[in-house]
Amino acid sequence: MKKMKKRSLIYLLIWTPFLMLAQQQSKNMFKKKVLQSTQINLLSSIYTQSGKNAAVTGGIGNESLQDAATNIDVSIPVNADDVLTIDGTVSAYTSASSGNLNPFTGASRSEDNKTGASQGGGNDDEGDDEGDDDRPSGTNQSPVTTNGPWGYSSAPSRQDVWLNGVFSYSHTSDDRNKIISGKLSIANEFDYFSFGTGFNFTHLFNNKNTEFGWGGMVYFDKWRPQYPTEIKMFILNNGNLKGGFFNGVNIYNQSGYAINKSGSNLWQPAHPNFITKKGRNTYTLSLSFSQILSKNAQFSVFSDITYQHGQLGNPMQRVYFADKPNYYIGNPADIPNYTNPKNTSVFQLADDFERFPVSRLKIPIGLRFHYFINEKLVLRTYYRYYFDDWGMMSNTFNVELPIKLNDRFTIYPNYRFYNQTASKYFAPYEKHLSTEKYYTSDYDLSAYNANQFGFGIKYHDIFTKSHIFNFGIKNVSLNYNYYQRSSGFKAHIVSVGLQLVLDK
Amino acid sequence: MKTKLLLLIAGILLTSCVAVKSYQRVNLNDPDMKLSPNKSNKFVMTFQVYREGTAGANGGKSGGGCGCN
Repeated sequence: MKKMKKRSLIYLLIWTPFLMLAQQQSKNMFKKKVLQSTQINLLSSIYTQSGKNAAVTGGIGNESLQDAATNIDVSIPVNADDVLTIDGTVSAYTSASSGNLNPFTGASRSEDNKTGASQGGGNDDEGDDEGDDDRPSGTNQSPVTTNGPWGYSSAPSRQDVWLNGVFSYSHTSDDRNKIISGKLSIANEFDYFSFGTGFNFTHLFNNKNTEFGWGGMVYFDKWRPQYPTEIKMFILNNGNLKGGFFNGVNIYNQSGYAINKSGSNLWQPAHPNFITKKGRNTYTLSLSFSQILSKNAQFSVFSDITYQHGQLGNPMQRVYFADKPNYYIGNPADIPNYTNPKNTSVFQLADDFERFPVSRLKIPIGLRFHYFINEKLVLRTYYRYYFDDWGMMSNTFNVELPIKLNDRFTIYPNYRFYNQTASKYFAPYEKHLSTEKYYTSDYDLSAYNANQFGFGIKYHDIFTKSHIFNFGIKNVSLNYNYYQRSSGFKAHIVSVGLQLVLDK
Repeated sequence: MKTKLLLLIAGILLTSCVAVKSYQRVNLNDPDMKLSPNKSNKFVMTFQVYREGTAGANGGKSGGGCGCN
């Protein structure tokens, strides 16, 4: 008996470490990988818009713009707990509005010199008597032509490419209840460079019925300021309207008479100085809370509290003052038609470009509620309330109804309603006063309602029977959205998406 | 009044919470039930950020990274 007890004890001592290891292995065996295999999402879109309130031309003018964009994001499982995601976007646009940064023929962004569009030709007013008006329209032909704010310019600023890269890394705890991630973002376009970094922390509890997240994101951005040509050339010429870009170019008053450039009533921008502080920093604190309500319902509430500081205005965007005389370059016969598309040959010189306070605090609060109605139908709803210290408030409401036609195809009809109040710094074309400190005529900051109607269709294949090389096609989607503002602005966007999964 | 209404809705929603076990989440795990915007709407949200004066709280940009509002 004693011998048996001794043997049992020995066996127990020999096998205990293996039993413990088996326990450890069992624990490891049940830890599911956060991401099973590499996934690639491809998305391409074509966007087009139209409107009559272009910001670059002071709140009136052609807003036509076309954009083609492609995004690829690759999620790579580094190990069972970690995922690396690389996201890249290329977006190329052509815009009548941004082309009108330089609406005059001959001068271009790349020239950036004092010779400008002038061809000479002896139209200089030097030597004439001083006085308000010099010659009636038509007696001197200006060498500069323009298509006006409603036409298209051939300036290089009419098109550009925006590039963006985002790198993020996430780590999930063994119990899968905590996720921490970090992010780096870089973006570049012809007048703007951005560098951003951030983190996010998510905690699940209550048997993963409840989720709380918080994070921060900081962008250290910088403008490469682009100015309306007439303002830039005025500054570069030290205010000389007889030389450089303005040499031989008639400037007309509201009555269509060429002004005497030696006289006293001359066009002059309100603040003829280039921007010296070009930084634009954005700090965002994100908070989120999600809760499962039942086997068929869940909701989340979230906010991205954002503080911005620096050069918040876009110097491309012209402003015209009601209490300042108007001056034009081009064909004076079209001055009476200036505010409608009949004007195809005269352009009004800006009084200034938009100016804003150095800071802005934005507080949006969003709410999502999703309900699984049945195997065929899901209800997805979203609401956001927003307010900031520029006097803007907005409401956004979105509803989407994914309808499963069968196990392969789902359609996504959706509707979005949006409204906003105007910023306290907004006024339409020729309504601001020169005595104001901050001003814009950008209709993106005006008061309006907008309706958006969309439809999408998605093909799913959870078994990924179709392949592209070593990647199985998990789903293919096609979406169309139509957007219309109460101001008459309209936009269409078509997107095509593809999700691929690397074969194991 | 608005605050009271929001608190009432929040109270109703939270009192209706139950702890749903993982094996009961078949419907909740449907991809369309995910509490985030559809990835296929990424560029739709991008143009909204550029063309509207307000941003944030929708999984997209909140003002940085672009010369947008």
